[in-house]
Amino acid sequence: MRLDKKERSLLGLASILLGFLFVILLKTQSVAGSQAAARPETAVPSLIQTEQENQQISVDNERIRQELAKYAQGQSASTLAKQQLQEAQMNAGLVGVTGQGVRITLDDSKRAAIGQEDPNNFLIHEQYIREIFNALWNGGAEAIAVNGQRVTTNTEVFCGGSYIQINGTRQMPPYVIEAIGDTNNMSAALKFYRWFQLGDFEQQYGITRKLEVLTEVVIPAGKLREYHYAEPVKEGT
Amino acid sequence: MHGWKRSLALPVTMVAIALGFLISLQAQTQKNVSAAEQISAERMSQMKSVLTNSKAENIKLQEDHRTLTEQLDAARKKVGTDPQLLEQLEQLQILEGTQAVEGPGIQISIDDRNKNVLFPLSTDDIARMINTLKFAGAEVISINGQRIVSSTAIVLSGSSTILVNQVPITRAEGIPYELNAIGDQDTLVDYFSKLEAPGLKKSGLTVSIARKTLRIPSYKGAYTFKQAKPITP
Repeated sequence: MRLDKKERSLLGLASILLGFLFVILLKTQSVAGSQAAARPETAVPSLIQTEQENQQISVDNERIRQELAKYAQGQSASTLAKQQLQEAQMNAGLVGVTGQGVRITLDDSKRAAIGQEDPNNFLIHEQYIREIFNALWNGGAEAIAVNGQRVTTNTEVFCGGSYIQINGTRQMPPYVIEAIGDTNNMSAALKFYRWFQLGDFEQQYGITRKLEVLTEVVIPAGKLREYHYAEPVKEGT
Repeated sequence: MHGWKRSLALPVTMVAIALGFLISLQAQTQKNVSAAEQISAERMSQMKSVLTNSKAENIKLQEDHRTLTEQLDAARKKVGTDPQLLEQLEQLQILEGTQAVEGPGIQISIDDRNKNVLFPLSTDDIARMINTLKFAGAEVISINGQRIVSSTAIVLSGSSTILVNQVPITRAEGIPYELNAIGDQDTLVDYFSKLEAPGLKKSGLTVSIARKTLRIPSYKGAYTFKQAKPITP
């Protein structure tokens, strides 16, 4: 097809226009899609956050109000203080407790790695213990101990090579984790990735991963540490 | 019009039709976009008002909390509670976390928003860092304002929201993660910079450690004991 100059330029112009419009259209289309989704996202987490915090603070405020009411009623100061002390000891994990719960036993494999097998898969690592604690607390555990060491706010589970350091003591396998709380909730919370992986390791490499649901578990008291650096914030400062 | 060729009529018509089609489509999309913008603007403003309300409530509650704690302190002093007993109580409350504390320590700021970060900070990373700080003898620890206590669980909600003590710690502005730890500054800096910082930096995160006098808020959650019964010695 032969075209003269005028025709060619007209056609060219039309094509350019067409291409241009097409690109603009594509751009607006993608904007239309992304815009609605992108912005409110950032507001939602901070909303949930403040709402949750509000709830927590109101619960705490209620607690203080109740205590103030007791003072106002003129209850004996020493009885109140003793009561509080007991409560705080219970919360902090300085009281031995008993109740229904679960017992988890983890142990290294009895056989050694052969050939290409990764020797790490034959051992219980400190990370597993931490992850199980996390899952148990998340499942509403009320008290946890491992090898008789009560888990408190300052409990570390740190790998020291052939042993694991817990509460400053050296612990060796088998690791027996005991937790008191609602056994259904705790068992459900345990069904997470690592738990199933450990199950696979049990079959393939012969480690031990055992879960027992018990009507009575006894968990010993933890120890209060001395605080040298942290000072209570004095109100009004 | 005398120069037009018949053979050109078809392609030109096609182009004209396509052009017309595109223009109308463009107009339509433009309308959609403005509608979507309007909807999201409405949503935003609603969200903002809810957020403002809840923030205002938060400030009020915090204020209440402060005055109530002051009243409680005063009430305790008035009835002359044994100061030794009170001190013992304070120590216990540091452990259980219901007592806000201050003291020397380190503040660790972690930014995982860089371009070259493959995986953002995970719950495992946070748990490991906290464990290392405990190992280094940290007395009190918090992350993004959430006090770490014995029963603190660090879990993922959805694909990216991290919950600590059941509260999302996602931050919309500023540094994404801020860990505070009170304890011996030298030991804390030493342990953290040797055991944790290199790994984090290797995966592209920005980590900075500062020695500071810190104030760590109290744990606002509640301890409940439904199954656990104390053993009386």
